[in-house]
Amino acid sequence: MDFLQNYGFLIVTMIQQGLLGLSLYFPLMAGQLSLASPGFYALGGYIAAIMGTNAAFAPLRESLGSWIFPLEWLVAGVASAALGLIVGVPALRLRGIYLALATIAFVEILRVVALNLSVTGGAVGLFGVPQPFGFVDRWQYVWIFGPLLVLVLLFTARLERSRVGRAFRSLREDELAADAMGVPPTRYKVMAFVIGAVLAGIVGAMSAPFLNTWNARQGTFDASIAYLAYVLIGGSRNMWGPVLGGALLAALPEVLRPLQDWRLIINGLVLVVASLYLPQGLVGLFRRRRAAPLARPATQEVAK
Amino acid sequence: MSAPAPSPAREPVLRAEGLTRRFGGLVAVGDVSFDVMPGEIFGLIGPNGAGKTTLFNLMTGLTPPSSGRLRFEGRDVTGLAPHRIATLGLGRTFQNIRLFRGLSALENVKIAQHARTRAGLLAGVLGGAREEERQVEARAWDLLDLVGLANRAGEDAGNFSYGDQRRLEIARALALDPKVLLLDEPAAGMNSAEKHGLTEFIRDVRARFDLTVMVIEHHVPLVMNLCDRIAVLNFGQLIAMGDPASVQRDPKVIEAYLGAE
Amino acid sequence: MELTQFIQNVLNGVSIGSVYAIFALGYTLIFSILGIINFAHGAVFTLGAYFTYTLAVGQFGINGLLKNVDLFPNGSPLGSSVPGFVLALLIGSVLAGLVGVVIERLAFRPLRSRGADPLLALVSSLGVALVLVNLIQYLVGAEIYSFPADVYGNLKPALVLHVGEKLVVIRTVQIIIFVVSMIMLIILGYLISRTKIGKALRAVAENPGTSSLLGISVDRYVLYTFFLSGFLGGLAGTLVATSFGIAGPYFGVTYGLKGLAVIVLGGLGSIPGAVVGGIVIGLAEAFVPAEYSAYKEAVAFALLFVILLVRPQGLLGRALVQKV
Repeated sequence: MDFLQNYGFLIVTMIQQGLLGLSLYFPLMAGQLSLASPGFYALGGYIAAIMGTNAAFAPLRESLGSWIFPLEWLVAGVASAALGLIVGVPALRLRGIYLALATIAFVEILRVVALNLSVTGGAVGLFGVPQPFGFVDRWQYVWIFGPLLVLVLLFTARLERSRVGRAFRSLREDELAADAMGVPPTRYKVMAFVIGAVLAGIVGAMSAPFLNTWNARQGTFDASIAYLAYVLIGGSRNMWGPVLGGALLAALPEVLRPLQDWRLIINGLVLVVASLYLPQGLVGLFRRRRAAPLARPATQEVAK
Repeated sequence: MSAPAPSPAREPVLRAEGLTRRFGGLVAVGDVSFDVMPGEIFGLIGPNGAGKTTLFNLMTGLTPPSSGRLRFEGRDVTGLAPHRIATLGLGRTFQNIRLFRGLSALENVKIAQHARTRAGLLAGVLGGAREEERQVEARAWDLLDLVGLANRAGEDAGNFSYGDQRRLEIARALALDPKVLLLDEPAAGMNSAEKHGLTEFIRDVRARFDLTVMVIEHHVPLVMNLCDRIAVLNFGQLIAMGDPASVQRDPKVIEAYLGAE
Repeated sequence: MELTQFIQNVLNGVSIGSVYAIFALGYTLIFSILGIINFAHGAVFTLGAYFTYTLAVGQFGINGLLKNVDLFPNGSPLGSSVPGFVLALLIGSVLAGLVGVVIERLAFRPLRSRGADPLLALVSSLGVALVLVNLIQYLVGAEIYSFPADVYGNLKPALVLHVGEKLVVIRTVQIIIFVVSMIMLIILGYLISRTKIGKALRAVAENPGTSSLLGISVDRYVLYTFFLSGFLGGLAGTLVATSFGIAGPYFGVTYGLKGLAVIVLGGLGSIPGAVVGGIVIGLAEAFVPAEYSAYKEAVAFALLFVILLVRPQGLLGRALVQKV
């Protein structure tokens, strides 16, 4: 158990950051560079922290027991979806760097609002978020983040082979051609954006108890770029990229701990070197392009 | 070929009424009106910069017209988004080829079946759309067969030769299940044997899918041979329209081409 | 609103807005030539302030590698007089410009020469920012450093105007910030519109491919641009620091983000746009009523969000036409 005592927090953090990397991957599937995830992550965390500590929810907590936690995830997911729609519908008319900047603005606005509301605990934040399912150790959060990661990966793998996944990819390749081929761009861009928002919101809701406290530092510009780094350094064209990137970059400060003060400096250097020398991301290193000819299914039909 | 002759008694499938597009002071397309009858192969020719591609963009919603209307099967489709027009049955190819270059040929053709399939996010993820997926897949293979690319279905579209890309674009446009197919310079970059085959191919496709075809083409013998009627654009204006023989004799057309050379 | 309050707000807004403008111009210059955003610009801003502080004061705090170091036991030769301080400011800004050049060589050029995804430059430049900021922390700790009150000489700390019965107070530093920023804008405007370098820069910004065919060394002008950008960033950092002090290594982060709001508001890549955007955001912040001052930090981003939705090309940007 020593291993889990020492590294449990780190392992859970790696999974958690991998999930956050994935939350950026969904909009990217549809060709949209959104940096909004920290905003939804913060929102989800506040929802969980408020439902877990605010006196107004005390009766609910008592009657639901541990079931309050799944309810928190649900509320966080729904709230993120709603906010994602409100922000996404106008913002996704923007392209490329403009969308990225609009989403950075969104994250900053949410942060300042959270700093100033009393329900979010202002600048100090919220403390003593209750632990779910009688967890006594950080590593036990593997039991909620782990299954979530598995579910999300399954979801993503299935999505990529579906009609909606194809629509996303067509938008990433050439939005105008996709439009001319009958794919409604706005609809699918917003859908991809909202999927990412919901994931970030749920991860936030799970993270508030994990971190025990929640404050405005959870959703910042730095986080936006960190998640982008996960995706780009892990690999942006494969779902394993963000997971790998998130896990490794989250572990990096821990691995570099012996370097003490040099730790964050080296961390920055790793970002520079990785973006310069890993154009396809880490996943691109050991994943060869599929070259085998596709096999035609047995059925034969005349077109139309 | 056994293509049905256009019947003048029927309603036009496409009707342009005074379509106009200005870019700043430049009139790219000026007050262009025409009817396209069902089953017709309708050619659009003119010197470079005459506004042919802009006219296609106006018709498919990629560029909003400054004024004028477009009717498709009697319905006013002016100002509709491209995907709405595509869904109604207007498929097109692009002069500068806009395939999804990083995706396989098969996937290119699958994507264009979007509008004729229904599976939503949950059905796709939870496996509730298997039958539909099977049909999409089968139809994509059939269309690749039709253009002779089935043996390269898994290759990225961007790796194909110019002629193969043009063929793949036609397969992709057909996957939409269109009523009207707009081809923008389908012969560009093809060798003469390929060009020759193209005439047969377009006629064959028209018959098989019961299509109306509009085609922009520079290669004059091909157009004359292929088209039932031809419209000529020059500086955005429609200067002549009629059967190939009469257009070929039209002094305004001769002047436009000679003047432009 | 009372007239005096109004005048006071305008003066405050224009002063801080002019620094936003010269800082944001650093982003704009690089964006107009490369079409990407240099996320290390905020760190250069911070660094500029530290450079000038080192030259003008040279005394460090009680944390970091350089703790308790005093470079100039008898007082800095540069800090003890106004011309000296101006020299320190210039050298500090030049050093910041050189850092800009290093950033270009390390984080941008390798990606460009490979034709890599421009998004990667966002990450590599942010990596550089992380390195710089943490290097500062490693060397001099996270303490707040303040310039001596007399760096601009023995001027009165503030100018007090009487408007009727009421007072309008302008701090001398605010006036200096405004004047220096304006001088910089005029020099830059001259440089861009009148000189050979400016013409070449504009040509490269217009079309890098053709420019290199015409014999303009694109890489060299990109370097000039990064130098100018770094110089402006460092200068802005020092100006702000003489007014508010250096609030630790992360002091540039807020300005870095606000600068983004400024350039989007004015129109990405537009030089007059950066100036207008800076002033508008400075004024908008100055007019936030005192009871909502906690939300002041969000004003720039709210403006950014709104402008992107109603006029994505910004106030002075050219409309984007997509080619079919």
